[in-house]
Amino acid sequence: MNGIHDVRLPAGPQAAALAELWTIMLWVCAIVFVLAMAALAMSMRQSARNRHEGSSPVAIDASRESALRRWIGGGVAASAVLLFGLLFASFRADRALAGLPLEGAVHIDLTAHQFWWEARYEPHEPTLTFATANELHVPVGQPVLMRLRSDDVIHSFWVPSLAGKKDLIPGRETTLAYRADRAGVYRGQCAEFCGYQHAHMALVVIAEPPDEYARWLETQRRPAVAPSSADERRGRDLVEQTSCAMCHAINGTLARGQRAPDLTHLATRRSLGAGVLPNTFAGRIDWINDPHRFKPGVNMPPLTAAPADLAAISAYLGALR
Amino acid sequence: MSSRGRDRGRVGRGKGRSFDLNIALAKQASRAVVTACAMGLLLFAAMPVSSGTPTPGSSGEAAAHWPSPGRDAALTRFTPLADISPSNVASLKLMFTHSTGILRGHEAAPIVVGDTMYIVTPYPHRVEALDLTHAGRPRWRFDPQPDAYAQGVACCDVVNRGLAYANGKVFFNTLDNQTIALDAANGRELWRFRSGDVKAGETRTMAPLVVDGRVFIGNSGSAFGVRGWLAALDESNGKELWRAYSTGPDAEVLIGADYRPFYAKDRGTDLGVTSWPRDGWKIGGGTVWGWISYDPKLDLIYYGTSHPAPLNAAQRPGANRYTSGIFARDARTGMARWFYQLSPHDEFGYGAVNENVLVELEWGGRSRAVLLHPDQNGYVYVIDRASGEVLSAEAFAPINTSTGVDLSTGELRYAAAKQQRLGTVVRDICPGAAGAKSWQPSAYSPRTKLLYIPHQNLCQDQQVMQTSYIVGTPYLGSISQMKPGPGGARGRVTAWDPVAATARWTIDEDLPVWSGALATAGDIVFYGTLDGWFKAVDARDGRRLWQYRTSSGIVGQPVSYRGTDGKQYVAVLAGVGGWAGAVVAGELDVRDGSAAGGFAGALPDLKYRTVRGGMLYVFALP
Amino acid sequence: MCSRFPEHVAQIAGPYRRHACQALVAAVVGAILAGCERETRGFEHSLDAARIAPADDASTNARVAHDERNAYALAAGKRLWTWYNCAGCHAHGGGASGPALTNNVWVYGSDPAALYRSIADGRPNGMPAFGTRLSNDQIWQLSAYVRSLAAIAPQDAAPNRDDAFLTRTPESFMDPQPALGPVPSSSGSSR
Repeated sequence: MNGIHDVRLPAGPQAAALAELWTIMLWVCAIVFVLAMAALAMSMRQSARNRHEGSSPVAIDASRESALRRWIGGGVAASAVLLFGLLFASFRADRALAGLPLEGAVHIDLTAHQFWWEARYEPHEPTLTFATANELHVPVGQPVLMRLRSDDVIHSFWVPSLAGKKDLIPGRETTLAYRADRAGVYRGQCAEFCGYQHAHMALVVIAEPPDEYARWLETQRRPAVAPSSADERRGRDLVEQTSCAMCHAINGTLARGQRAPDLTHLATRRSLGAGVLPNTFAGRIDWINDPHRFKPGVNMPPLTAAPADLAAISAYLGALR
Repeated sequence: MSSRGRDRGRVGRGKGRSFDLNIALAKQASRAVVTACAMGLLLFAAMPVSSGTPTPGSSGEAAAHWPSPGRDAALTRFTPLADISPSNVASLKLMFTHSTGILRGHEAAPIVVGDTMYIVTPYPHRVEALDLTHAGRPRWRFDPQPDAYAQGVACCDVVNRGLAYANGKVFFNTLDNQTIALDAANGRELWRFRSGDVKAGETRTMAPLVVDGRVFIGNSGSAFGVRGWLAALDESNGKELWRAYSTGPDAEVLIGADYRPFYAKDRGTDLGVTSWPRDGWKIGGGTVWGWISYDPKLDLIYYGTSHPAPLNAAQRPGANRYTSGIFARDARTGMARWFYQLSPHDEFGYGAVNENVLVELEWGGRSRAVLLHPDQNGYVYVIDRASGEVLSAEAFAPINTSTGVDLSTGELRYAAAKQQRLGTVVRDICPGAAGAKSWQPSAYSPRTKLLYIPHQNLCQDQQVMQTSYIVGTPYLGSISQMKPGPGGARGRVTAWDPVAATARWTIDEDLPVWSGALATAGDIVFYGTLDGWFKAVDARDGRRLWQYRTSSGIVGQPVSYRGTDGKQYVAVLAGVGGWAGAVVAGELDVRDGSAAGGFAGALPDLKYRTVRGGMLYVFALP
Repeated sequence: MCSRFPEHVAQIAGPYRRHACQALVAAVVGAILAGCERETRGFEHSLDAARIAPADDASTNARVAHDERNAYALAAGKRLWTWYNCAGCHAHGGGASGPALTNNVWVYGSDPAALYRSIADGRPNGMPAFGTRLSNDQIWQLSAYVRSLAAIAPQDAAPNRDDAFLTRTPESFMDPQPALGPVPSSSGSSR
């Protein structure tokens, strides 16, 4: 999955506050580092000179004591001031993060699984709620309030251009709020080691102008597109009768599993397996036939079926706009 | 005849002999005439004029019968027979027994019409007609041969809650979704109605109600995500006349222009769809596995719908109509008249299938036609049966899942502390999923004006989680383990005064009281315990007067009838099982506290207290 | 490494400290290697294994014997137990509408082939058939998990904690037979 994935390119107030803090810390620490190295170099040169003169490196030279005391005292004072300064900057960043206005927020329940992301929009509104996976759409300029949960182990949600990291801990619920102020595709990934495929647990957040977002919402709320050819019908029947329906859900069919990504509008998504394969006709066949070839350790079992059957399933899924 | 034994007149006694003798003779003659007329009238009344169960309070021939599990369509379970009373019940004797040969939970009520008793066993649902003039010798047997697969999808033991007699036929359901009518005289099959797929987890356990030429049936399977319905079949041929679903669009729930729910919260169009996420209503539960009552004056039937599916409520945001509520429907057309949702967005698996006992109460200075509904959620509801207005809803058991019912809005005020939280174990939820009271039916005595409620006192610990709907497998998303409720007594019999809205007396039992109750005009209440004791207590104060240890736990419904010898008999089926007795009936492993839907955690000792069995017991005074 | 044995330990081991050290190292390495089978992940399996085919007894027994000693397979079986609603009918081994699986009473047999058949083909009294809806691997994992639940498989690799509400002893501590203890003395019923 491709998208903007850079802490230094914030697209919203949360990421901007963090980027600012990051920059301050970078510069302060860099300057302090240079000065500290310079002081170290100077003292090493001085001690070398002292040795030539035959005295012990740690001998006290009374004549230089007060000068030394001034240097050290000054250094400590400067460090204290800088540290308090960083503390103040960090505190300001925290306040900025917490101060995001939340009126009209989009509510999303994000549940992390091994190794994919489940998103449910408006989970308390029976007529508005729907589920999707690994690809979130949000409106530009509107806050997003996500409730974070984990289904199995600790994961961490990190979309660097939009917000900082927030852990999803099983048995606990937490929230994360952010806002995208510029349209674009922002990549994120799991930031807490969660198992064999932790490195392949990506997601994208697509920020869209409000009218495009509204169109997307309306599409996602509809039940699945009915199959329009015999091949697609066969695909749907196979999905309902074989292992697919044991874990996946396609709204409007007999597939009502809740353990795997919702496939109702799979064709609107860009990738399979949380960023592992492109969502193409061939990609779907490869993935369904043997997901472990591309993502060993994933919880999806292989489906051994005749090539025609795999093609039918892929055709049906490809029609689920 | 009920007049026997009473009112031995004073003919022949008194002063002035010849004058008195003339008057005495005249009295005797007029008495004979009156008696003859009465006999004629009673014989006339006993003939089935309109088909179906007799209305409450009828006397004479009808008093001798027990033609349906509730005895009458008001489900009073009250017999007008008064021979057995507190003064003589201590000498009640076992008259005969009859083994059914089946070793699962016997929840049915023995039905008595004339000199024949009809019983139906749990799966495989053998029906027997017993000759009461020959100590229960079988007259005929019928084996419906149901599909064995149904056993595996019966959530709560392979029970059957009874048959009904009407118009010379007996009607009963089978676990594999059939309703069968037999000729009561010889057991010949008249018709069979099939609807429902065991492979999808649908079953049928309830006792049909037969009134006015219609057989009312409902399905089971909320635990499997089966969509609930109530149907009316033509009594003569088993054809389905109409079906009212518990969820879905108004046209399928049979909601139309006549629908007038009392509370605003239950009003709206297509609530059976909009109060569910997307297609949730199709697998939403709300089955009809409990009792149906009928008011002939209003021509309305009353029944409750079960809890919504899945138990994990986060997967079904919305009020989830029309589950966990009571419907009043036109008995002829099935169109809903009113609906009241007792437990909206039911998070505890309560459901509202418990019986609605139809009584007349003195309320606010006038007589009011109400229904009494002791619900799983722990409240006894008194509801005006014409309008659906809740007149009172008071707790008859310890409750911490809610704090009360707001009578002005009808809302149940849930307690936030006990609500489900994904991924967390919520502890000490009272009542637990079996409710303060489950299907086991209460009895109402018009003499004491008390409702005798057999029930349990159990709480539970529960965790909910996301679950998939996989057709044919349970759709729950919950792990729960029950435990004894406050005080430690796991069962209770409560004599509830519906007007004062308080208990007149209670009896604590060690084990849940999963049997039905029987109230008699002799002021006795009968019930049975899970370890096999059949008990008689004084209806006025709950004093135990008599008990008898049967061979197996009692989960059936006791009945009473007058035999052809004129004596009052009391009969009950013993045979432990049902949901509470499943740990014994199913030979489950109680080391897993979540076995039997959580009952293993509450009853780990049950297998030491009773064994499987299946026996009819019939008692009378010697 | 053994030449840099800590002083105080060297005093105990005395002249044999080098041998003691080598023995200790060998023991630790051996213990680590012995756990390999328990910890292997069977991701890269051949597609043939995934075909839903009737399994003959020998290959099924071999497969399940491997899975019974493999923590990942048993954990996968435990996950599938919850995912596919097995717990709805069998609870966590104690049974409900389906029979108990922990009480050593087997209606159709407890050997791996019988368990495979039960899951794949279903059984007449209400066990659904999952053969067309699960992969072979999954059925083997479930069979192995059922055997560990019933404590008829080695318990070294059996799960011993639950992510969810635990209502019984963990699988690795289950006894193979229900403990038939004395009748509980307290009854409390009113007599």
